[in-house]
Amino acid sequence: MILTDREIQIAIERELIKIDPRPTEKAFSSTSVDLTLDPNITRFKPPRGGVETVLDPNHVDFSPENSLADLTELFEIPSEGWPLPSKTLFLGWTREYVDLKTDARLAARVEGKSSLARLGLGIHVTAPTIHSGFNGRIRLELVNHGNLPIKLRPGMRICQLIFEVTLGTPERGYKGQFSGQSAPPPKSKPGP
Amino acid sequence: MGATNEEQAEALMRVKVEEVGKGLHPSEVVVQIQTAEGDPERLVVDRRSIVDGTIEVGYPIRKNNGYYLIELPRETIGGSWRIWVLKDAVVGEPLEGVA
Repeated sequence: MILTDREIQIAIERELIKIDPRPTEKAFSSTSVDLTLDPNITRFKPPRGGVETVLDPNHVDFSPENSLADLTELFEIPSEGWPLPSKTLFLGWTREYVDLKTDARLAARVEGKSSLARLGLGIHVTAPTIHSGFNGRIRLELVNHGNLPIKLRPGMRICQLIFEVTLGTPERGYKGQFSGQSAPPPKSKPGP
Repeated sequence: MGATNEEQAEALMRVKVEEVGKGLHPSEVVVQIQTAEGDPERLVVDRRSIVDGTIEVGYPIRKNNGYYLIELPRETIGGSWRIWVLKDAVVGEPLEGVA
């Protein structure tokens, strides 16, 4: 079940959800709350002529964070805005810090806003779930699918969070689930 | 909706982490956790989620001969959510029947 605006507010009051800075009343709709764009954004450095770079996520030495740090550069969107070019991936963040408590029986999905989607703006690439226990700024995979640049401004409403009640408490949020009993051994024996 | 309270929240367990690098955003850091199998797992977390070199992991999922199966708050860089760690890597209120 999706939480309504009232239930989201109650969950915030009960500290099951933390959103910092706290959204204003205007940020809510009946079943979602809007989050805003952090000024920090990363762009991929332009490739050098004659050099081909290919990502190999299954390579034993591949590290996404290190690779992205090498291949991208961080910059700040100026207050007057910056045009997001067409057909290119940028990594951004929400300005808000979100904390979804482990034992809250809640999960969330980050989704785009229809007003921006109509212009071609996508804010995630197939991984919208915010699991219970998550805390931090939400990473956004920003892609302008349209043909014209879209001006982004820091603090603009960029995405919405939709909260859902989970059926039961996840194992990691349930104390004493196996009191007095042993779990079956893992498939591959842990330990050196 | 979930039934939680401050007592329960305080009892949630934490796993020891080592900071090994910066994240892409100034608020992020890359931390490393030593797994029971020996290979470390790395993940990106928010700096403010680190307290005394630990991050919250809720309660262990399973136990096995002094090892805990824990679920991390975010997917690791290698794509895992759950990892086996030595019992000593987890700090917090001991669980009844888990020691």
